[in-house]
Parts: sequence; structure tokens; C-alpha cells
Amino acid sequence: MKKIRLQVNGTWRSGWAAPGQTLLEFLRTELDCTEVKHGCGKGDCGACTVILNGMAVDSCLVLSLQVDGSAVVTAKGLGTKENPHPLQKAFIETGAFQCGFCTPGMILSAKALLDTNPQPTKAEIRRGLSGNLCRCTGYRKIEEAVTAAVDYSSKNHGSTEDSTH
Amino acid sequence: MKYIGKRVPEIHGWAKVTGQATFTDDLRLPGMLHAKILRSPHAHARIRGIDVSKVLQLPGVVTVMTGKDTPGIKYVAQVSDMYPLAMDKVRYVGDPVAVVAAESEEIAREALSLIEVDYEVLPAVFDPREALKQGAPQIHEDKANNLVLTIKRDFGNVDQGFAESDFVFEDEFSTQAVPHCNMEPRSSAALMNTEGVLQIWSGTQSPYFVRKEVAHVCNLPISHVQVMEIHCGGGFGSRSKYCEDEGVTALLAIRTGSPVRITFSREEEMTTTRIRHPFNIHLKTGVKKDGTFVARQMDLIVDKGAYCHYGPAVTGYAAGTAASHYRVPHFRFTGDVVYTNKQAGGPFRGFGAPQAIFAIESQMDTIAEKLGIDPLELRLRNANQSGDTTACGWQITTCGLEECLQKVVSSTNWQEKWKAEKTGRFRQGIGLATAIHVSGSNVFPDGEFSSIEIKMFLDGQVSVYKGSGDTGTWANTVIAQIVAEELQLPMEKVRLISMDTETTPQSLGSFASRVAFEDGNAARMAAIQLRNYLLESASARLQVPGEELQIEQGQIVYQEDAEKRISYGDAVFHSPRCVGHLLNSFYQYVPNTVRLTPQGYANVSAAYAFSAQAAEVEVDTETGQVRVLRFTVAQDVGKAINPIAVEGQIEGALAQGMGYALTEELIVDPETGRVVSDCLDRVMLPTVMDIPQEQIFLVETCDPEGPYGAKGVGEIGLNPTAAAIANAVHNAVGYRAHKLPIEAEDVYYFLHPEKR
Repeated sequence: MKKIRLQVNGTWRSGWAAPGQTLLEFLRTELDCTEVKHGCGKGDCGACTVILNGMAVDSCLVLSLQVDGSAVVTAKGLGTKENPHPLQKAFIETGAFQCGFCTPGMILSAKALLDTNPQPTKAEIRRGLSGNLCRCTGYRKIEEAVTAAVDYSSKNHGSTEDSTH
Repeated sequence: MKYIGKRVPEIHGWAKVTGQATFTDDLRLPGMLHAKILRSPHAHARIRGIDVSKVLQLPGVVTVMTGKDTPGIKYVAQVSDMYPLAMDKVRYVGDPVAVVAAESEEIAREALSLIEVDYEVLPAVFDPREALKQGAPQIHEDKANNLVLTIKRDFGNVDQGFAESDFVFEDEFSTQAVPHCNMEPRSSAALMNTEGVLQIWSGTQSPYFVRKEVAHVCNLPISHVQVMEIHCGGGFGSRSKYCEDEGVTALLAIRTGSPVRITFSREEEMTTTRIRHPFNIHLKTGVKKDGTFVARQMDLIVDKGAYCHYGPAVTGYAAGTAASHYRVPHFRFTGDVVYTNKQAGGPFRGFGAPQAIFAIESQMDTIAEKLGIDPLELRLRNANQSGDTTACGWQITTCGLEECLQKVVSSTNWQEKWKAEKTGRFRQGIGLATAIHVSGSNVFPDGEFSSIEIKMFLDGQVSVYKGSGDTGTWANTVIAQIVAEELQLPMEKVRLISMDTETTPQSLGSFASRVAFEDGNAARMAAIQLRNYLLESASARLQVPGEELQIEQGQIVYQEDAEKRISYGDAVFHSPRCVGHLLNSFYQYVPNTVRLTPQGYANVSAAYAFSAQAAEVEVDTETGQVRVLRFTVAQDVGKAINPIAVEGQIEGALAQGMGYALTEELIVDPETGRVVSDCLDRVMLPTVMDIPQEQIFLVETCDPEGPYGAKGVGEIGLNPTAAAIANAVHNAVGYRAHKLPIEAEDVYYFLHPEKR
């Protein structure tokens, strides 16, 4: 066991990391970041996606002991209800979720894509979301939402970057 | 209308986009224990003994429980045959044998390895046709030849019908097992409170059934079980009645006195929860020369797996679909529901209809080809019409099938594509299929009812209490829209509380495409009643006739003199019906339907929905691979209360239907009975990369019984999809799929028989 520090959505947090423990388990059990969802534990579904030092990763495939001192962004760290992140606004307006279990991971994969490629093509959006499974929506509205978020961002002359990252 | 028919955003949207929607595994209760289930490694074995003595020595373990430590009561289900924990026998790889509750999940998992079970391994049987044979291993002591029961239907005179037919077609079809693959793995948490009430959290479609089953297996009075409100990460039928972890969690909570949770691993979710039943289908159809259907007979062998759950209802619904899908005067059906040593089937979106429709719609194209009739024409000739009563007694009040078919055909340029010459390596084809589906179904002894209660506060805002669950279908949003419409309140002033069995009134649950229709009707009537209370109070207060008052955005206004007005809150306060500063309204909706009889003739639903779909595919003749290029759907939704929600149901159903047709399969090792495709990657769910172009038309027939004309929309979108794809593949390359999924290998060998 080792005490590690993580900057989660801009705030430094600490907790006990154990050998073999994944970042997903650490976030959920040590830090109670339950907005990071456990869908499969083996990198198939993408529900546990977080942005780790600027990259979208399946947090179930990263060991907690590897990431001491890192910055993590979760779905809770993007925007506020009054001032939502363009992706959050677009997902709500488009209706790009049903049960909402895959949604945090889906939004974070999309954010990581838009952070590096603010004007993605349709094919690039698809590739960016291809690691995230959804059983409810059939994906169509999710694609539409990401496209809409790109539009919002370009209209606002802003980026989809959030303040914590 | 202000909210009905509008693209209103989902009311739980902010919680969902931030991950703050609380699912069962997200709950944090003080002192919560974590439990893991020990499951059978054998497909069929007798338990000679279980030694748990080493388990309690492991630090952190709180308790271990086997079947002997439970009241030994089986779940009710339809045929009561399963204990929460095995008593003396295991019947499939994954059958729960023991459970350990510990301070952490890791400790509980480690403790399982310390349990020693002495099994006497028995011969097992995995094919239902083998299971029916004399001398096959007997899985349940009371069921000879493993036959759970046979569902029979016989309407009209089928033998005479076949005799009068010009042609009789007979085909065999088979369909595969598919796991629901809900993104949230099963999880349930329970707590015995100090009042002796067992509180249970379980992402469910039907808290009503969960409470009933948990009270039963725990031997508790039903009044002492409370199902708590919690988000559910996808239902699709798998959570429509009860899940077998709920009883185990509840028993552990009673035993330990602590809150306990069981969360399944993905492998457990895939290999031990209820799945779509595999069907073997024999379909015989008699037709006149002009293509008119005269008689149909369907004979099924339903692979039930190890336990019955709701298999008979699924089989019965396949019969209802087969009897009602197109006009057919004479109809006969037998459905043998057969135990095998495998994971058990249960409800899955469509409830037996996708299997039946795959057979019927595939054979339909064979009939058309043989008779030289255009497949569209054959469908139109036999299509149901408004006012029809089907062979099994379904009374169709409004039917948009013909309009749906025409819409699909005209917007796909169907005739031209159908007849186009197919050449080259990549060949395109187009296929049609249709479906019929209920809006709620009166089949269970529990009854058929939905209730809504609305409370208006002194601030003029309302809380709406809804007994059924919302698994992500936007059911809560739709109910909130209805209340907002009738009370002319902004959406943000309508709060939804759903599925808490102590605080919400009873509803059967969100399954059988029921909620928008039945809970919708209850919500509308409860809201109208509340509005009348407000008008009655305002009329007395303002001293003007009630009929000359108008309600608008929180105010009740006298039409003649707008100065004369009163806020909702004041109307609540001054109402003689106001109790404790609240104005209450309750309505229970019971549809005018008939409970299904053993003979199977009954009008089980108050409205029937219809759908027509065209699939366009491209087949690679060098690999046999099938790719869907485009779906065109026209669906008779009655009225789309929320078009986003309705489109979402259809788009999601199409993806599931495409997976069902082409890739998804729960593969079982025929020697050991172990599930091979035990993870999402191996079941091959569609990803965003696989989604074709889609065009969706909502046909609004405005059913007189539906709220604002609405019908059920949750399931029907999946029912015809596999058949449409199969017909498109046949159109492209001539391969007629008799089994699902349609595998590249089979298409390839059909095209290259010399390579086999």
C-alpha cells in the first residue's frame, strides 16, 4: 500500500493505492468518484473512461500506483449546470443518452478528441467514440451531439477545453 | 399543445451527463458489506456437501451462507423452480451455490476460494431436442423429459385451412441466445432497518415484482419490503420482473444486520443473467394463388435453459405475434418449453416476437418469390387493418401498417433496388419486414394496472409519484411532460419520484411497451383531476363560475376580467381538499383488456403498434461478410409524446436488431456447458463504427385509447430488424438465412459450395 496523490478535476486528493489496484477502483473506492462507471473491467466498454494527463484512457486498464501525481478529469469536472461544457449541453439537447451509464465515458472520449482535433470529420468522430459501447441509443444521437458540440464551440470562438485542464 | 409532441430534454439529463445519476453500485451506505457469489463450475451436479469452515477464519469475512442457511423457498416466477442459493443440485455453469459477505469485495472474492464443495457430477444436456428424448439427463425432478410445459393454441380450423390452400410452405428456422448486455452490470444492495423493513436498491424495471419475490424468498410480509428509488443502467427486459441476486442480497442483509451489496462482474452479468431464448421454429403456411394467407401453424422448441423464469409468457407471446402478424384466419401453435443445462432465458425486448417474426417474414419472401408476387404486394394483401380482430383475439383499433409500408417503400426507391441486377464482388440488396406489438399486455395473474399520484405544494409546484421504473427509456420525462401539459406548468416545476414502493402508488412495471401508454393515461387523468380541484377552489375564492376560468403558468385567471386571478399555491391553500398544505390527486388506470386464458384467445392490449422496416445491405461475395448500409423505418407510434425519446427507442432497437441479425451470440461450449462469449468483446455488440444510415418516419394514427393517441414504442423497433436484414441478404446474393445470426461463413459457403 502506498499513499498517492491525484489531481481530480483540479483538486488534489490522496488515498491508499494497493498493488494490482486499478485507477478505476482507486477512484471509486478510495475517492468515491462514482461518476466513473465500472462496466466491464477489461477495456471492452469504455464506461470508465477518464482523461489522464490529457489523454482519454480506460481507467480499468491503468494501475493506480502508476499514476501518482497525475491529473485526472472526470465527467463531473466539466462545466456547471449554469454553464455546461459544450458537450454536456449538446448531449442534453440532442438526447444523446438513455440510461446514462455509458454517458460519462462517452463524453470524456469526445472531449479528448475535440481537445486535440476541434474540427473533426464524421469519420474522426466515429473513430474517437469507437472504444465506447452503448446498448441503449444506437449511437446516432451521440454522433449528432458531438457534431453539435463542435458547432457550439466554433460559434463561441472558444474551445471545448474546460477550466480544470 | 405546449409539451406534448415536443422535443423536451430528458429530466435527469444533468445527472447523466456528469455521471451523478446514482446507480446501485454508486451507493455509499455506512458499514456496507460487499458480497460475492460462489457459482457452480459444473453444468449439472449434485451437491454432496459444502465445507465453509475455512472461510470465517479469513480476516474481514463477516458471513458465509449456503442454501441450507436460507428459508429454502423458491422464487415464484411462472413455474417456481429456483432457490436463491442451490439446495442440493446445480443445473448450469454459474448456478449460485454459496455467498460470502465481507468488508471488501476483494476479501469476499478471496474467501470464495476457501469454500469446498463436494460435487457429484451428473451428465448434462445442452440441446433442447436431445433433452426431450427418453433417457436424457433429468434436470428437474418433477419434469419428465425436461418438458416444462407445452403452450398450445388452436384457432379456426387449421387442417381445413391447409386443405383449402393452393400452396403450403414449410420451413425450419433457428435463433440464437443473446445476452442483454446492459451497460450497468447487475447490482443490488439491501438493508434491514430498525423497524424490520427490508430496504432494497436494485436497478429494475418493475419494483412491484422485486418486492413480491424478495418478500417471498425471505419469508417476510410484503409490507416489510421496500424497493428504493435508484437509476437503472439499461433494462431491455432483463430487469423486467426480478433478478436472482436480489433475493441473495436481501437474505444477507437479514442475516448480517448490515447493509450489503452484490455487484456482478461483467462475466457474471453475461453468463448468469437471463438471456433471449433460442427458438427452433417449424413454420407452415397455407396460401391461395393470389397470396392470401389461409392457415398458419407454428411449432416451437424453446430452449429454456436451467430455470423457467418467464419462459412460458415469452412463448405465449410468440404465439400471439404469429397469430396476429398479418391476417390469417386459421392458426395453430405448439410451443414446447424445454429445460437444458444452460443459462436460463427470460424477457428480452420483443418478448419472443423477434424470433417468430424472423421466421414469418423470411418465409413471406419465399412465398412471394414462388408465387411471383412482389413482396410488398404480398404484405399489403395480408396486412391488418383498423377494426380487425386477429386470430387470437387482438382487437386492432387503429392500424398504420399500410401507411408505414408505403412510406418505407416510397422513400427507399424500393422497387428499383429490389429488381436491380446484382453483379460484382460487392452486391447490394434490400429487404422488407413488418411487426405488430402490444402497448401493455394483460397476461399475468398480478393484474394490469398503472397508477400515478400527484401532490401540489403551496408554491404551486408538483411532485409526481410513479410506481414503475425508468431504465433509461425517458419514461419519467414523458410522464412529467403529460403532467406539465395538463397543469400548464413549466417542466422544471414538475418533479418525478419513481419506483419507491413505500411512497409511489402501484404500477405493474415498465415492460411490454407499457409505461407511456398506461402510466401515461394514469398521469393524464390524475393531472386533469388535480386541475379540476384547482379550478373548483379558484371558482369559490374568486366567486366566478369554474368553466370561465383558465389556467396558465401557475395562475388561474378569470377570462372576463384578467384582474381576477389566483395563484396555484393560493388555490391549493384555499381548497377544501387541501390536506397538510398539499393537494393530492391519484388515478389508477386499468385498461379495458381481457386476461390471457390458457387457450390464448384474448384482447390483451388496449392498442397495437405497427412497424415497417427496410434494410439495405452490401454482401462481400469473396468473404460472405454482410454490412448494413441503411435502415428505413416507418413506425405507427400513435402519437409521439416526445419525438426525441421515440426516435431514441427506434435507433437503439435498430442497433440491437442489427446485432441480433449479424453478430451477437452467447456461445456455449457443447462439451462443458461453459459460456465462451463471456465478455462484451466476444458477444460483438455493434459499435458506433457499425451504425448505418437511418431514416425514421413516425406515423401518427392517434389511437383513441392512448394518451394523446400514443401507443407503446419500446420494443417493436427490434422485432422486424433481423428479418429485414435476412431478406436483404437474400435479395443481394440469394442466400436464405434459416438461422441467426447470419454468419459470413454460411454466406460464403453458399456462394462457394466448392470450397466447403
